Amino acid sequence: MSIGDLIFNGAELLRSTRLAEFSLGLADSSFSLWLQSHFYAIPLFQTLHILGIAALFSSSLLLGLRVLGLSGRDQNLEAAYRRYRPWIWSSLAVIVLSGVILVVAEPVRNLTNPVFWTKMILLVVGALGTLLLQSGIRERMASWEVSSSGHATLRSGATALIVLWMLVIAGGRWIAYAPI
Amino acid sequence: MVIVEGPLWRSLENSTLGTTIAGSEWMFPTLETIHVIAIVTVIGCVAAMDLRLLGITSRGKSVQAMERDTLPLTWIAFAVALVSGGLLFVSKATSYMVNPYFLTKDALMLLAGVNMLVFHFHFSKDIDLWGQPGGAIPLGAKLSATLSLLLWMAIPFCGRVIGFTLGVYYAS
Repeated sequence: MSIGDLIFNGAELLRSTRLAEFSLGLADSSFSLWLQSHFYAIPLFQTLHILGIAALFSSSLLLGLRVLGLSGRDQNLEAAYRRYRPWIWSSLAVIVLSGVILVVAEPVRNLTNPVFWTKMILLVVGALGTLLLQSGIRERMASWEVSSSGHATLRSGATALIVLWMLVIAGGRWIAYAPI
Repeated sequence: MVIVEGPLWRSLENSTLGTTIAGSEWMFPTLETIHVIAIVTVIGCVAAMDLRLLGITSRGKSVQAMERDTLPLTWIAFAVALVSGGLLFVSKATSYMVNPYFLTKDALMLLAGVNMLVFHFHFSKDIDLWGQPGGAIPLGAKLSATLSLLLWMAIPFCGRVIGFTLGVYYAS
């Protein structure tokens, strides 16, 4: 089965669930109608969403590169962790909030779209991976500069997380192209 | 309006490259995906540097160290954004060239570039002194950082609106 068929069948399946009526009802809500009828509303919230992604992705990238020893070597790992962790979580909050608003603006396009749900699963994996990586950093940061124990594990985790966030971004872009 | 409606854009769009991208189901969205990943990297890294210049974050780190962390990433990502954006442009060149949001976005990027040059060649004088942790950042550097933050918020907004207005404007 091709990817196109897979997406088509996924959309068929989603349409047969209560998500179909739910998304139609949501599209008729007053907030959704307001968003749909103001031309700049959707691009403005999309911009907020993108700025949140910029903060999350770049913070994860800079922290990841510090773990990999490729950047930020003027300070220890703990300083990089303290610098980027709050930005990672607060930008995730901005992304989720603006994302919810974008779903309300276009409920059918998102909620009955298998690409959207694939993205959501990857997003949850990304958030859990971030928790895991950060707890790994906390455990090892005191001895990071003097001992190489655990370096390989954290470095592969940091790399995987950066790739994962790229896949989430890709998922976001391809929502618009799923044939639903 | 010879520049925006000139025959160059039509011949670009009709080139093998332009028609190949426009005629493919997957190329345009793939290029967009690469473009978005590059853009968020540019915006995030530029913002991290700007926030350091404003004294809001990374105060324990020298400005030069912050620049060493962010500038190579910014340039690599900007190059990727420029190439992917250029390929997106070629596939619909005539529609982009009559789109006011596209032209505004280009002008804002040019302004961001000039701002960066002014900072680099003028405001970053004596950076070895004031760039140290705890150093007093000159007003010029702070203004430049503020302008940069504002421009890099407006640029993706224009980019997003282009997606809703392509085909709305026509060359006369």
